[in-house]
Amino acid sequence: MGIPSAPLVTKAFKDLAILNAAKRGMPHERICFTPHPVWGKTPEEVRAYVEGPDPVSGKPLMKEIVDALTAPLSDDEKKSGMVSVSVGPPTFTDTADNLQEFYLNNGYTDFLPIIIPTEEKVDAMMKGTSHKPDEAVGKMAAGAYPAWSYNVRQVAASAVMAGCRPEYFPIVLAVASSGIASLFSSTNSFAFAMVVNGPIRDKLEFNYGIGALGPFAQPNATIGRAWTILSKNLGNGGIAGDTYLGSLGNNLNYNNVVIAEHEDASPWVPFHVQRGFKKEENVVSLFRGLGVVPGQVARGSSANENVQFDYQMSDLFSTFTGFFGALIIADPLVAARLKEQGYDTKEKLVDWLYKNTTQTVKDYKSRNYAYLFDYPRALRGDEPWASWYKMPDDALIPHFPHASDINIVVAGGQTNAYPQAGNLSYGVSVSIDKWM
Amino acid sequence: MNRRKLLSLMGMSPVALAGIPALAEQAKKSDQTKKEGAASAGEPKLTVLNPRGLPPPITLIPMAPRLSTLDGKTVYLVSDGFPGADAFLNQVSIWFKKNMPNVTTVYRLKAGGFADDDPKLNAEIKEKGQAVIMAIGH
Repeated sequence: MGIPSAPLVTKAFKDLAILNAAKRGMPHERICFTPHPVWGKTPEEVRAYVEGPDPVSGKPLMKEIVDALTAPLSDDEKKSGMVSVSVGPPTFTDTADNLQEFYLNNGYTDFLPIIIPTEEKVDAMMKGTSHKPDEAVGKMAAGAYPAWSYNVRQVAASAVMAGCRPEYFPIVLAVASSGIASLFSSTNSFAFAMVVNGPIRDKLEFNYGIGALGPFAQPNATIGRAWTILSKNLGNGGIAGDTYLGSLGNNLNYNNVVIAEHEDASPWVPFHVQRGFKKEENVVSLFRGLGVVPGQVARGSSANENVQFDYQMSDLFSTFTGFFGALIIADPLVAARLKEQGYDTKEKLVDWLYKNTTQTVKDYKSRNYAYLFDYPRALRGDEPWASWYKMPDDALIPHFPHASDINIVVAGGQTNAYPQAGNLSYGVSVSIDKWM
Repeated sequence: MNRRKLLSLMGMSPVALAGIPALAEQAKKSDQTKKEGAASAGEPKLTVLNPRGLPPPITLIPMAPRLSTLDGKTVYLVSDGFPGADAFLNQVSIWFKKNMPNVTTVYRLKAGGFADDDPKLNAEIKEKGQAVIMAIGH
């Protein structure tokens, strides 16, 4: 804009603010800091913060703000031009033990032991695809940062580190090509999920039966892990205080929620077919949100002669933030029961859930995410939020902005009729075949 | 962690940071650490790949010229919508009224997602304001 500005940031985000300003071209931006947090404080407490010192510099905060807007610029602050950023040499040479430590100490891993990506192992991994080592795969950022770019060889290094076999590599490439990092900067501690569809599930022996979401098969375990490791290495994600700010973190980030859909046991069309792919195509679909909860917590889910899974799912949604959607993971027994109830397509169930999971406008406005994310969108005129904010407090509105925010997949071993549900939004579906 | 160390961890090259001695010093230390870590004898050595992607170069943006004084100027107090920013900026406004009464403050909540630009507000500030204090609450 060409107008002097003074960014005011709470102390907890000091590293983030300084680094992000630098990455965007202003390494000397005059950032002023307040104590943290500032929300939930009385006016007197906030006034004391304003009249007190910047907790980083120790100088009076308001003097610092005024100076940030009025003190003449230094030569460094007037600089233009390009600055290169180095990530080190293309290879490292050392003993196996030292390299294991080296990768760990430099933040290249998930802090579990890795397979060291020797040139031989990386070459072997690249035999899993017909694509050339130097071919560009995509760009990735773990938040509102400038994106990093990467090629097939660099993706292969992370796939090796995660323990993937070469035949898994096309799926890892498909995930990497999406540009979606499985580690995200938000303080909310996001979780990520992938749904794998197509014949590749059987070819690679994915587990979609008993323990479908657990540590019971190599492709489920390692491909999910590869997503996190490549998000660190290719998207610069997961640096605490810089590109990762989740207050509690999320245990699902270790290998993410990997779901191979149990297509044969499902009464409905597979997820990738819903997205316009053919049944025989191999596709990975990616989701982002907050996590997964078990269906047993829902009202009416105990021993009940007339279990109504639709109501259970609707009940689960009431604790979900509407900022993200819902991903229902239905055991085949649950799916079969729902079909008997008349839901012979996923769309019918989604329609019922969308229309019957409601809230009052008053309750909606009281939710943190509504004020934080939706109200600014309403100000911009985005729907349905603009209309919701004009409605009376007692009006009923859907829990999710759109029916398409609700998705369903089928997986599980049919040892009992339990669903799980993720507060997860669909992102994108990517062809795996393209990366064969 | 101070600003110098943070920026050196970003991998900004020592050459590019030549005008910023403290940053160049940090980058030099980082190089030394790498060399020391690589010095190990007795066991077979392996050559492995650096798994990192390629960060984009940084285009330095000259900061906007500063004002000689805030007296008689209009300062926009802009909240990005995170909780607490509005209350904080309200106290900033009160401080200006009490301590620098010749400064006019205008509060605005930025529209759109927290990382989205708000072109309408930017145009308003450019037309009517001379400075911005942007608060990022929490």
